[in-house]
Amino acid sequence: MAADTGQNLATYPEGAAYRRFLQRRKRTGAVWKGLFLLATIIGVLVLVVLVVDVVDDAFGYIALQNRVNPETLVLDYYKQKMTTQPKTLASEDDAILAKGVGARPAAVGFFGNAYLEQNRETLRALPIDGVALGPETVAADAYPLARPLFLYTTQDILRLRPQVAAFVHDYLQTANQTGDAIGYFPLSAEELAAQLTNWGELTGLTTGTAGTLFPASGDVRVTGSSTVAPLTEAVAAAMQAAARLNGRVTVEVVGTDAGFRQFCVEGIADLANASRAMNNLDISACQEQGRIPVSFQVANDGIPVVVSSQNEFVTGLTLAQVRQIFTQAETWDQVDPAWPAEPIFRFIPGVDSGTLDFFVAEVFGTELAAQPATVLRDLLTANVSAGRLRALEAAKPIATLADDELYQLVESEVLKPQVVESWSLFESIFDRQEIEATVATIPNAELQFKSWVNWQFITSPQSSNALQSGIRTAIIGSLWVTLIAFLLAVPLGTAAAIYLEEYNTGRSFFDRLVETNINNLAGVPSIIYGMLGLAVFVRFLGPLTSGLAFGYGDPSTANGRTIVSAGLTLGLLILPLVIINAREAIRAVPRAMREGSYGLGATRWQTVWHHVLPSALPGILTGVILSVSRAFGETAPLIVVGVSTFVVVDPEGPFSKFTTLPAQIYQWTSRPQQEFQHLAAAAILVLLVLLLLLNAFAIWLRNRYSRRII
Amino acid sequence: MSISVATRPAASAVPGQAPTNAIEAKDLRVFYGDFMAVRDINLNVERRKITALIGPSGCGKSTVLRAFNRMNDLVPTARTEGEILFHGQNIYDRSVDAVEVRRRIGMVFQKPNPFPKSIYENIAWGARINGYKGNMDQLVEESLRGAALWDEVKDKLKQSGYSLSGGQQQRLCIARAIAVKPDIILMDEPCSALDPIATLRIEDLMRELTAQYTIIIVTHNMQQAARVADYTAFFMVDDTRTGYLVEYGPTNQLFTAPQDRRTEDYITGRFG
Ligand SMILES: Nc1ncnc2c1ncn2[C@@H]1O[C@H](COP(=O)(O)OP(=O)(O)OP(=O)(O)O)[C@@H](O)[C@H]1O
Ligand SMILES: [Mg+2]
Repeated sequence: MAADTGQNLATYPEGAAYRRFLQRRKRTGAVWKGLFLLATIIGVLVLVVLVVDVVDDAFGYIALQNRVNPETLVLDYYKQKMTTQPKTLASEDDAILAKGVGARPAAVGFFGNAYLEQNRETLRALPIDGVALGPETVAADAYPLARPLFLYTTQDILRLRPQVAAFVHDYLQTANQTGDAIGYFPLSAEELAAQLTNWGELTGLTTGTAGTLFPASGDVRVTGSSTVAPLTEAVAAAMQAAARLNGRVTVEVVGTDAGFRQFCVEGIADLANASRAMNNLDISACQEQGRIPVSFQVANDGIPVVVSSQNEFVTGLTLAQVRQIFTQAETWDQVDPAWPAEPIFRFIPGVDSGTLDFFVAEVFGTELAAQPATVLRDLLTANVSAGRLRALEAAKPIATLADDELYQLVESEVLKPQVVESWSLFESIFDRQEIEATVATIPNAELQFKSWVNWQFITSPQSSNALQSGIRTAIIGSLWVTLIAFLLAVPLGTAAAIYLEEYNTGRSFFDRLVETNINNLAGVPSIIYGMLGLAVFVRFLGPLTSGLAFGYGDPSTANGRTIVSAGLTLGLLILPLVIINAREAIRAVPRAMREGSYGLGATRWQTVWHHVLPSALPGILTGVILSVSRAFGETAPLIVVGVSTFVVVDPEGPFSKFTTLPAQIYQWTSRPQQEFQHLAAAAILVLLVLLLLLNAFAIWLRNRYSRRII
Repeated sequence: MSISVATRPAASAVPGQAPTNAIEAKDLRVFYGDFMAVRDINLNVERRKITALIGPSGCGKSTVLRAFNRMNDLVPTARTEGEILFHGQNIYDRSVDAVEVRRRIGMVFQKPNPFPKSIYENIAWGARINGYKGNMDQLVEESLRGAALWDEVKDKLKQSGYSLSGGQQQRLCIARAIAVKPDIILMDEPCSALDPIATLRIEDLMRELTAQYTIIIVTHNMQQAARVADYTAFFMVDDTRTGYLVEYGPTNQLFTAPQDRRTEDYITGRFG
């Protein structure tokens, strides 16, 4: 017994030694487990990085620059249309317009409110949509043809040049009364209070301390809008008359745009008169010069639509009627049957006038997308060459186009937007301000968040214009090629696998030769299959693969670089894969099942067909999924076989030339332009999704099938 | 030539062979590659009787059994010498098709191996591939009754064969085998995966089947051999691990008065 124990102690570890042994064993297990986990994590990480990388490029901001500014396009269209109507007088001189309308009972027109004020006895303003032009309706923003007027400066100027601060102070205090007399509309009490508060914050002065500014001395330089200029001049005159300002006030009239430029860029003005607010472009131009613009709303402007006071039938107009009157109608009864059939005489400001621009913007709107189909159609026909128009007409008659189709045509044919700059998703999320600043410096550019993957991308054929380019032809090409590869490889491969597993005894020289060859074929680099395909299908079998032998001759593909050739090449490429996987699946069918079948007197074929194949089918399908995915994503052999680099028409059949998704991606990635990199990323995403769908479908099929037989 | 029912009476044409012989092994040798698994087996299996093959593991019982319906052909390395006479015809003759042999000599395996099909189809399939033209429903019922399974499954014929218990599955395999109306049924340890109750049921079934069939069964269970078998063959291995037939005779004689020392040792050794 003792001897036994001693022997056991010597043979197996006991006590402390056993615990150490256990610990060591556990540690070894833990190390291996860690290694396995690490491998898994690395695998998952790689996958995540890949997807993130692709997604990063497939979405993000772009700076779009239109060849033509869409707003200008719309504005010019209406201005042109309005000024070329019959019986229309367009003049830059509002006095002429006022006189013209006043003299004719059937006339209508619009111009600055000041001229209405001067001609009250001959003119009558019309309410629009029931809203009359007046201080209340303007202040309440109810009257459609009203706009705020501004004075721009900077905080630095206000602080360093007290005469400017003083001038702005009195401007705000007096503009409502001064302006009223000369045709401006006053600010509401709240608006005015907000401006004064703003002034206080910027200057650091209160109502009490503001008095220290006066009397101010020094010159004040003003430039900008002609609309605001009379008001500024009136305010200046009043200040000087009251001796609150000792110095000259110069008011240059150059227009709002030029005024901003002089004020921001050239820095030759203290104040800029403006009939519109600064946009991003204006602001960034200022900021670039170290000027941070601040604005004061000083008054409101309203444009009356007027008829002669002799006119007895029109008492008011709707906005729709205004549109009709100035762009379409020839006689009054066309606008309203209750009105006389007299011709409409129109008196409108000239094309260089800001008032006309404002009228168009308010009455018609300058947003291209909001324009009715007739306008879009006119824009298209007026801005596209006759030849291009015929081509478009041939593709789809323009008269039959839906609104959104029309809009897209106008966009692609007239605006011709171009991506001048693009950013990845990460940049778009984290450097948003920087991006906005950059875009602001690009004239006429518009910042847009773009998903490079979109329906249009998927359904459009390839194009040299990145914004219109799509992968439709590539997807169809890929599906065709994969289908042919599938049709070749799957039946052939499965058949070969059955032979090798069920019939091949492995005893003859031939059997052994086949065996080794099949296994080695799977390791042959894909490019070599490409060269095989080129030699056999493209060159040698060219007459067949080009379809000429079957009467499908297309001279451009007569060289055999067709879908069939590519599909057959890929079919050969995946054949060994199909065979190896199918053999694996067939081998996994239990021997007992075969014996059961043979034991009943079944032939080999019956056994294979009724038992082995159904049982192996899920496994065979798995192999087929892998193989088809491989074919779907393969590029190198197709490049050798001769995938087309630029195809815009869908392949019609197996004898068409083609491109495939991976080839398309390859081609895009090799282009220098940034936007094609985004397209490539988008195409990769689509490829991944398609592969996923393909696999999901096959797995579903497999599960369905295996459920049925068990 | 082919083996058919019509040729059966011709069995007596072989001189000196009793008409009660179902099948006979003559100087049978089976090789797996270069390895001789069994040598010089001479065995006369009587008609409508149960013959048990017993012996230590690896002595070639299964090999011999599978030689009776050319199942060894499915093993690529296997090679058979000698003759198996079935109705006077050597089934290893070049003119004989192994498929026909298996149709006449059915087999039930150690592990139940129903097809992944419905119970009905499990039975019908063998009949159909052998060109059965009669009423299939009738055949299925008849076969299931023959295998004493009908009452248990008659309401779920459309269910998968896998849904049955192990013992039921084995009876399904027997039903499947008898559905093609063989002459002989080979059973290789048919009860080794079953519990005692299921085993007894199968044994009862075998006894019933002797009314129409000849049964050859391989078993490790001495009691089973003693219980069911009419004849018993005892195999041993020699120094080269080649199996050979030691003794063959009526079961009670072999168990009570073995002629050979080795038989006695084996039997008593087993029985303690
Ligand atoms: N497929 C095979 N290939 C090679 N050798 C085999 C094969 N099948 C059986 N053998 C060998 O043939 C001999 C007999 O095997 P067999 O299966 O007939 O024995 P057995 O008597 O049925 O044994 P057990 O009682 O364990 O089932 C054994 O030595 C075995 O290793
Ligand atoms: Mg065995």
